[in-house]
Amino acid sequence: MILVAFALCAGLALVLIALCRTHRQMNTVVVAQGLIYTATAGYIFVGEPLPFTSFLIGKNFFFIDHLGLYEVLITVLLFTLAAVYARGYVENLLTSGELEKGSLRLFYAAWCLLHLVIILAFFSDNLALFWIFAEMTTIISAMLVAILSARENIDAAIKYIFIASTAMLFSFVGLIFLFEISRSTLGEGTLNWTVLMQHASAFPTGVMTAAFALIFIGFAAKSGIFPFHTWLPAAHAKAPSAVSALLSGVLLNVGIYGIIRAYALVHQTGALSVAAPMIAFFGVLSIAIAVISMLPEKNLKKLIAFSSIENMGIILVGLALATPLALFWVLFHIMAHSLTKASLFFSAGILHRQYKSPLSGDAIDDIRDVFRLQPLAAWGIIIGGLAIIGMPPFPIFFSKWFILLSLGMQSLWVLACVLVLLFIAAASIGFFVIRTFSRVSPPGELTNPVPYLTPATMKFPIVILLVIIFIIGLMFPAGGIVFINQIVTELRF
Amino acid sequence: MTDPAFLDAIIKILFVCVIITAAYIITTRNLISLVRVYALQSLTLAGIALALYGIGGSMVLFAIACVTFISKVLIIPYFVANIQERIRIKRDIEFHFLNPTGSLFISLALMLLTYISLSRIIPDIPSRGNLFFFGAVIGLSLMLMGMMVTFSRKKAMTKVLGYLTMENGVLLFGLFATELPFIIEFLIIIDLIILVLLTMILAVGIDSTLEEYHNRLHRFYLLEGKEDIP
Repeated sequence: MILVAFALCAGLALVLIALCRTHRQMNTVVVAQGLIYTATAGYIFVGEPLPFTSFLIGKNFFFIDHLGLYEVLITVLLFTLAAVYARGYVENLLTSGELEKGSLRLFYAAWCLLHLVIILAFFSDNLALFWIFAEMTTIISAMLVAILSARENIDAAIKYIFIASTAMLFSFVGLIFLFEISRSTLGEGTLNWTVLMQHASAFPTGVMTAAFALIFIGFAAKSGIFPFHTWLPAAHAKAPSAVSALLSGVLLNVGIYGIIRAYALVHQTGALSVAAPMIAFFGVLSIAIAVISMLPEKNLKKLIAFSSIENMGIILVGLALATPLALFWVLFHIMAHSLTKASLFFSAGILHRQYKSPLSGDAIDDIRDVFRLQPLAAWGIIIGGLAIIGMPPFPIFFSKWFILLSLGMQSLWVLACVLVLLFIAAASIGFFVIRTFSRVSPPGELTNPVPYLTPATMKFPIVILLVIIFIIGLMFPAGGIVFINQIVTELRF
Repeated sequence: MTDPAFLDAIIKILFVCVIITAAYIITTRNLISLVRVYALQSLTLAGIALALYGIGGSMVLFAIACVTFISKVLIIPYFVANIQERIRIKRDIEFHFLNPTGSLFISLALMLLTYISLSRIIPDIPSRGNLFFFGAVIGLSLMLMGMMVTFSRKKAMTKVLGYLTMENGVLLFGLFATELPFIIEFLIIIDLIILVLLTMILAVGIDSTLEEYHNRLHRFYLLEGKEDIP
């Protein structure tokens, strides 16, 4: 019933968008959709006992458990804020001619579909169904990347589609393997995660390893893990900032979510002894590659995008440890990273509007006089940057701390490597901020005298997100701890 | 119905057809024949599904054969050919780092590799006969060959065909390795159609200059600024 409500709401929003004439109306529709979804997710959170499988439609296809709901809560929050942010941002894209008026309707239609598809993906019980929704998110979000009428955007979108989709086909082969495993073990083939979880301990090790490796390839590409990360910086940097925030804060989670689901299955079989080192290896490599690319990076949005790859690497390393404690903090890290990264992209969007280079999208942003022109965005980047590198009052500090602590208990050498890499990552963000934000044009020679008047709708989401992460860092509510603990129990760690 | 041994032989012949089409897709530079060969390959797959149904498979196989025929033999090739005609690119002579001969050798190596690795993995699954094993091997290698095309060609148009070949490989693998529920197969086809639509529209952009791209979009009525068109 609830999923029908979600789908109906999206359908209604699509119709309204088709009817709307101005940008403001369309944006209002999307914001309203976000609010309704938030309310519905909140209702499930408060009112329904989980896990929750009895639906009017597709009892065998959909279900809601704590993990799914957790991801959905992050998703609806970010979508709503990004929709509010888009009100000012897209308006400016229109006036500056970067987005054509004709594409506007397409933009918002894709936005609203993406929201629906992501939620359906998180609520899928059947892994093949999840795969299809994940694939849809790739296509729709690539549309959102390509919507700006610039050649680099089309390039980035094509790259994104091809890398993600080809890798996802490997996942599908993995799912076919899994289906065959379940068929030979249970007598009747199924891809329902709940059923698989009940019988996973009986699955043969060899095929299970192959299945997990293949599934991992696809979802790793979706979440920007090395060596399939190459699409990520291009797509994140070229997309409109409101979309970048979603790509980084929500879409990467789709991939990680798939990995977690498959990993929970593997965790119960003997295949763990191969799977865990494998994902740890790719996790550390992703961190390394991201960090090395961050150091010389001069484009703010690319820098933030590489930092996403680094954080996905940390999440993988945490998963590989396969202890309940590590898993708890991995889940916490997912949330903390999403919120922080979204706020960073929002701030970067304001700076991008102020300093956009008229010549080419690839040019280095000529940022100067930032505190005079855009004080809020500057502070947003500084505080967000501190949060993302894991400074104490912010939530990422705690998740990194405990993940690294668990890592240290298993291997000191890997811990040492990761620590050095994380230090370089922090240094490169700090270096970038100090170098670009301290640039001041000499008195009397104001090259960029027109400050971009940031609309309140663009400032509001940044402030909200920063406040949220600050509060979460200072006092994480006990209810949240219980909630995440329930996820850990459901994943049978 | 027909004699199973006869159908068995038919399937083997169709396997050879699949491999030949794959080799052609890897090596050809002519975009128009590429699409035709793709359609032929899909037709072969539909034939294989039908033959499997004849051997005694479930109704699902019949349904898959129908859906494959409609979507991959008729709709997608028609659409791709249509777009190609409008872009007027006939040949794709840009190979990234592989020339046709090299890629043929690599695909041979890929098939061997798949054969060896599958024969290591499969013993865990109760064997369902030689034919099924070969089907799985050819499916997987077809997929890898498609991937090679996707990454070794520059034109987005050829990349799309590489992706489609990959998907054919997955379908073939799925046919022989196990029996997926029909709804899943059907949704995948829908997903595929959307993907092809989108990438084709984008490909119009990437395989031409931006100004041309906008004019073309207007010509296709894909952008909404229809007032520009007299």
